[in-house]
Amino acid sequence: MGSSKAPPGHFTILYFASANSYTSKDSEFLPARLPLAKLFETLDEKYGGMKAKVLESCLVTINLEYVDMPENGEDGVIINEDDEVAIIPPVSSG
Amino acid sequence: MVNELQENNCYVALTHDYLDAKSMMDRVRSPKAGAIVLFAGTTRDNFAGKPVKELQYTSYEPRALQTMLTICKSVREKHSLTSIAMIHRLGVVPIGEESILITISSPHRQAAWRAGEEALEECKEKVEVWKKEEFGGEDGGAWRANRDGAVGKRIDQDQSGPPQGPHGPILRAARPGERGHGPVVRGDHLGH
Repeated sequence: MGSSKAPPGHFTILYFASANSYTSKDSEFLPARLPLAKLFETLDEKYGGMKAKVLESCLVTINLEYVDMPENGEDGVIINEDDEVAIIPPVSSG
Repeated sequence: MVNELQENNCYVALTHDYLDAKSMMDRVRSPKAGAIVLFAGTTRDNFAGKPVKELQYTSYEPRALQTMLTICKSVREKHSLTSIAMIHRLGVVPIGEESILITISSPHRQAAWRAGEEALEECKEKVEVWKKEEFGGEDGGAWRANRDGAVGKRIDQDQSGPPQGPHGPILRAARPGERGHGPVVRGDHLGH
């Protein structure tokens, strides 16, 4: 997972647990650059209902670091070409 | 195959293989320690009374290892431990086998007991590992291999029922406290 490199102009997004089930994918490549603030709606357009059913309970990492979802209409950080983004649902280890 | 990190007498690992308690005890064994505490979390055959046929764990492995190491370093420092090790099994874990082992050594036992509980609670709260329970008696009971990440194929979702995963419908969302080895208990209950 996440081992294949994104084609030019794209980033990699990884789907775990409920995000994996909802998209039926482990990962895919999406067009970069993309403001973090647009990520959930981009996914919701692609996978109808995903925002309410899955994403709103999820955290997001970019290149293994957790990022805060921007509020108040700000763009927040920009997801760049070649970045590895992951959707992190509530964990259930142990 | 084992994916592992090691730093400052902290060892963390993820593996698809059977977990060996003895080897994890030996990882923290030290002449400076008068106690080794071992926690072994094993998989139950039911979820809230509903039979579970098998469990499967997946992980964002590089992220999970970092989180495990951060937890172990923090717990080790807080309780002045000699050493701490944590390993989580991934993939299918047959019922009754260990899904996680934590071993802790310290000069005296009380610190090790406390640290073990704290490390487990932190792990259950934060480590990027996900469990899926396969319930007996449902259709789609056989697990399929994960898709290999085909690009750009749109999956239309059925809006009426529960979302369909590669392994059948997603029956429920995770709730706090249901994760594995009993409720997530806060507070100093080991002190009583």
